[in-house]
Amino acid sequence: MLELRDVSIHLNNEMLVNKLSLSMIAGEIVTVMGQSGSGKSSLLSFIGGDLPDIFKATGDVVLNGEILGRLPPEKRGVARLFQDDLLFPHMTVGENLLFAVPAMPAQERLAMVRTALQRAELEGFEHRAPHTLSGGQRQRVALMRALLSKPKAILLDEPFSKLDRALRSQIRNYVFSHIQARGIPALLVTHDREDAPLGGRVMEIIRDGEVRDV
Amino acid sequence: MLPVKQVAGASLLMLLFVVPLGLGFVLLGPGIFDGASFTALFQHPQFFGAIGLTLFTGLVSTGLALLLAVAIVMGTVPRLLSGSGVLLALPHLALALGLGFVLAPTGLLARLFVGGETPPNWEMVQDPAGFGLIVALVLKETPFLIWAMVAVLESDELRLRYRQEMLAARSMGHGPGSSFLKVVLPQVLPRITWPLVAVFSYGLTVVDMALVIGPAQPPTLAQLLWTDLNDGETSANGRGAAGTLLLTALTGLLLLGIWALTKLMRPKLRFLLTTPARPEWGATSLGKWFWAGLILVYSAIILALMLQSVSLHWPYPDILAQQFSTKAWQNVAQNLSPLLVSLGLAIATSCAALLAVVVWFETQNERRDRVMLVAAVLVLCVPALMIALGQYRLLLTLGMTGTLTGLFIAHLLPVVAYVFVMLHGPYRAYDKRWKAASAGLGVAGVGFLRKVKWPMLYKPLLSTLAVGFAVSVVQFIPAQLAAAGRFSTLPMEAVTLSSGGNRALISVYGLMLMLLPLIGFLVASRLTRSRWQDA
Repeated sequence: MLELRDVSIHLNNEMLVNKLSLSMIAGEIVTVMGQSGSGKSSLLSFIGGDLPDIFKATGDVVLNGEILGRLPPEKRGVARLFQDDLLFPHMTVGENLLFAVPAMPAQERLAMVRTALQRAELEGFEHRAPHTLSGGQRQRVALMRALLSKPKAILLDEPFSKLDRALRSQIRNYVFSHIQARGIPALLVTHDREDAPLGGRVMEIIRDGEVRDV
Repeated sequence: MLPVKQVAGASLLMLLFVVPLGLGFVLLGPGIFDGASFTALFQHPQFFGAIGLTLFTGLVSTGLALLLAVAIVMGTVPRLLSGSGVLLALPHLALALGLGFVLAPTGLLARLFVGGETPPNWEMVQDPAGFGLIVALVLKETPFLIWAMVAVLESDELRLRYRQEMLAARSMGHGPGSSFLKVVLPQVLPRITWPLVAVFSYGLTVVDMALVIGPAQPPTLAQLLWTDLNDGETSANGRGAAGTLLLTALTGLLLLGIWALTKLMRPKLRFLLTTPARPEWGATSLGKWFWAGLILVYSAIILALMLQSVSLHWPYPDILAQQFSTKAWQNVAQNLSPLLVSLGLAIATSCAALLAVVVWFETQNERRDRVMLVAAVLVLCVPALMIALGQYRLLLTLGMTGTLTGLFIAHLLPVVAYVFVMLHGPYRAYDKRWKAASAGLGVAGVGFLRKVKWPMLYKPLLSTLAVGFAVSVVQFIPAQLAAAGRFSTLPMEAVTLSSGGNRALISVYGLMLMLLPLIGFLVASRLTRSRWQDA
């Protein structure tokens, strides 16, 4: 379970997020909408542990009962999908996936990569360079890579905004179904209402950082 | 109409740069491929010792500089490293001279940390193993490699991408240190290939720093050849020329070997990219300490030069001299010629180079830049000894050795190379729509350049001029060869003095070598300060 308790974020004198409290259960996907510059990315950075010092933030992020506090990103167990797929260009598709697999015997690590490739419907793409894949294929690999790191929660930072319209709903369904199957809470930020999963909780950041349900 | 303008526009850079460069290479031919010279070279009693020292100092210094630069970039926020540019402004010769005064048995290091009645009997300057030279080279090249890496890391098109990739890697459980080494570094290294080649080539072939702080018996190969080239005997000159060719070939072969080795090793090392995450592998604070250490050593070097320049009687182990004097400075004031020659050459060459390069950019299609870039990179990566020797042969043929014109030509080549490489990016990136917009307002041609384009490019133009100026000031090899004993410049004077014992006077020349480019950079940065106050 991922909980936000009274989270507020300021930049200079501007209130970006005002006392947001929220809790997400396993497999739940909550959507936070807002205009660009509204503070939705700062909210993700705060949860992910990479909010720059110029922001002032208060409140707690609690993941499975543990207060994350000032833990660095690598110790939080919070995965991330970005607008860009961010597949590392100097590694093959397979290496990108293997990069995320935690420590365990080598054979098991490789087996996990194979399973992930199957789930991405990209068997046989292991040795391909990322740039030879289509946008949709890359975003599928990016999701699999994020999930391979065994996260306890996942943050989705407008991961569909750079995809073609036709591809969008397809990838959206793919991402949501895999996250729900994994049973981890997810927080999606977007400026596009259509990105929110059907039936999920949708919130909106309005003036002065106030967040309300839509 | 158009071809005439293009030919005329290209001619300046051709005349000042390409033709002398090419002719120099051609003129290296005759006399160099004679067996007697090579035989004499191989029979030189110090030849093999010199080759060994060259390989040792060149390889170790380049490797160490790269390791240090990577550690510093890994452990420090790139923004903090913008200061690496300031360290680059310290001329390498001044650095070597000052380092000598820090490391010598009676130097600052021993005075501060060893003490005792008599100086320690360590050998760190002109020591037989080349330790002093290695330290000097590492100190010189590390800031350069940091600067080259930061230029890639902070470039407009890559900055955000690298930051996000780092964040993605960390969100998968990799610590900042391992994220940098596995994700960012493998992408940055291929982009700094040419700076690395330049560093390696410099380390193998450096003359002036080696004369000041390098081993002497035997010396490095470059020093050995330098002695031969400056010898009064024609046969020794031939031996030096043959050796220069050999040293250049050796450098090329080594580079080829290293390239082949990395090619071979790359597939075998790929597994390192995907080893499991270890969150505890944090950003080592080691990098910050190295960076602080580097700045400290630079400060110590400058301090040593300043103290030494006004010290008259300074017995060991006193921290400060017992008697101070401005005698050395007065001495220089009475002999202004080296300073004025250096200053005049620096102004003339940097302005001429800037003019030639700008005229080229304005009259030539961007596609032709490639040729010039290749020529410029050639000048920066081929051993300076080789290029300077070619220029010297050219000047001899033209009867221009020992003339100011000859000195001007000899200094111009490296200056043009730097100016072209520096200005190429910003000048070609200039948005062409300004020209259309300006023409729409009735301002075109030279008026557009004078009123719109150059004022907009004021900053890169001026900082390029400052770099050209600095490059000219520090030239030693081409200056010494072209001057033929008739003129002296600051680096020539400093190297000559360094073999004598007048520490105060050596320091004064070291400081002047440092001050001249520094004044150039300060003026440039002062003039380019934004007119608009940041809110």
